[in-house]
Amino acid sequence: MENVATDENWKICFSQLAPGLVLFARQWTRSAADAEDVVQEAFVKFWRRNHDIKNRGLLYATVRSVAIDLIRRDSRRERREATALSDSDQSVQPAFDFQDDSQRALVAALDLLPQEQREVLTLKIWNELTFAEIASALGISQNTAASRYRYALAALKKNLPST
Amino acid sequence: MNDFSELEDQLRKLRPARPSAELSTRIESALAGPETSPATAAVLRRERRFHFKWLPLGFGLAAATALVLFAFVRLQQQGARAPRTASTTPPPAISTAQLVPAGLTQVVYHTRDEGLRFRSNSEQPMRRLRSNTRETLQWRNPKTGATLRISYPREEVSLIPVSGQ
Repeated sequence: MENVATDENWKICFSQLAPGLVLFARQWTRSAADAEDVVQEAFVKFWRRNHDIKNRGLLYATVRSVAIDLIRRDSRRERREATALSDSDQSVQPAFDFQDDSQRALVAALDLLPQEQREVLTLKIWNELTFAEIASALGISQNTAASRYRYALAALKKNLPST
Repeated sequence: MNDFSELEDQLRKLRPARPSAELSTRIESALAGPETSPATAAVLRRERRFHFKWLPLGFGLAAATALVLFAFVRLQQQGARAPRTASTTPPPAISTAQLVPAGLTQVVYHTRDEGLRFRSNSEQPMRRLRSNTRETLQWRNPKTGATLRISYPREEVSLIPVSGQ
């Protein structure tokens, strides 16, 4: 992911960032198709404005903003997403390629995390953002981002059968 | 270094699913095209529908109502002031058809004999008398009792033939 910062070709940048971006967008959408729509709109907006690709916090903030706009755009959709989020994650499942049952159990434990902890974990683990970048993307302090990350790991460890 | 390093390694082994190949194509076409809303696969933007804007209409109606009320009040005020301005105009003329003549008075207050005069085409002398009179005409309305009186001076010159006896 380090070479992404210096590569100005959007295809290379996007091919490396896309899985994590879509995974992050799925925090607010029910389907992978919706998440891809959000990522498309956000990435095009980001790229057109000639933002520095090093500013990953801004890129993820754009994804988050577009996703929330998408929810607000349609009242039916808003109700559906609000219900989905309040139903504690049953429908907001990160899309992973499972290799074994232990990973399936890990994803099940991820689904039990609160939204604010899961989004920090998603940005940290699968998008490799620093706490400073996470803080920038989510509009929180670095300390808060680090705290949520630790709480998320603790909750995961607690919920997993054996670690 | 921390208690969660093993868990973090497990999490990193989880690989997010790759997005569809179509997504990259859509972004490419979106970047190549004009700056418009991107094409969507699952989320179709709603077509713009006609939304009746009640707020401007409300303001417009309120403004129109206020204007009509203002004009109405102005007219009322002008109507209330009308008798004052009407008092400066002359009263309407009394119809003479309702008046009947009630009298005529002639008072001769001066008479003067101006002597004999001879006319150019006559040898017979004539005495010329000049009298000053004041005539007064009077009308009365029998229904209302109103009277109208006109008085004016009059001067009369009389030539009286004088016999030669």
